[in-house]
Amino acid sequence: MPELPELNPVIHGKLRLALLSLLSGVEEAEFTWLRAKTGSTDGNLGAQLLKLEEAGYVAVEKKFVQRKPQTLYRMTEAGRQALTEYIQALKQLLGASIGA
Amino acid sequence: MTEETEELELKERLSLIENMIAESRRTTESWGWVFVLWGVAYYVAIAWSVLGNHASLAWSVTMMAAMILTFGLIAWRAARGRHKSQPPTTLGRAVTSVWIAIGISFIVLMPIMAIGGRSNSNLIVAVIGTLLGTANGASSMILKWKLQFACAIVWWALAVVACLGTERQSFIALLIALFFCQIVFGIYGMIREAQGHRRGDYHA
Repeated sequence: MPELPELNPVIHGKLRLALLSLLSGVEEAEFTWLRAKTGSTDGNLGAQLLKLEEAGYVAVEKKFVQRKPQTLYRMTEAGRQALTEYIQALKQLLGASIGA
Repeated sequence: MTEETEELELKERLSLIENMIAESRRTTESWGWVFVLWGVAYYVAIAWSVLGNHASLAWSVTMMAAMILTFGLIAWRAARGRHKSQPPTTLGRAVTSVWIAIGISFIVLMPIMAIGGRSNSNLIVAVIGTLLGTANGASSMILKWKLQFACAIVWWALAVVACLGTERQSFIALLIALFFCQIVFGIYGMIREAQGHRRGDYHA
């Protein structure tokens, strides 16, 4: 019987998974947009985004637009690769679970 | 944790990924009103060219006015904040590029055809059919939207009718294509957009 894959713990968290999935569909996104789409609080969202940034899955850019601070997040190549591998592992686990 | 609970949780994760990706792509569907606006603009141009004075100017003036109105409304909606925080998507940029290129083609062609005295109705209808067929076809292939590809086929068919048919036949075909591919398709897009907003955001 083939060995079942392990799920990446950095991505497995529900909010972090939602954030990476959202970022996979856009070129870049503002903090406020991510907050609106996930319904998360500022503190929790900031903390989870920091974890993704530390893992190298998300890149952050801070700038001023019309004198207002704007924080933009985008998915890195490593993040895209990690999400792809996570989905493959998930499907493999589900296949094994259904087959069991 | 039992195997069933674990399986349920894994399925929930997969569904979360699908929902979030769909959510991020929703921005590309909020253009139904543009189809309706342009559908109305074409009807105005047709009515003017058939019934009004200075018929040779009907198409160029109406198309310009529709263009200005479209950009004005886009700017107004952005200022209202509805689309302000919508992030750019590769799909959105690709589709927008196709329509901007087609818009430029209209801006260049319509006045030049009028100035050059080549504004016979069959030729104008053939140009409209070809350009809108190209735009809808490219857009539908990018978005993988079969209904829009059906619209593209209707526009291309219109171009064929305009080249081979009589003036009356191409005129009737244009009215039909406009009704289904601009007005009906645009209203359908607006309904889909409204349903998306009513459905609300998915909260992780």
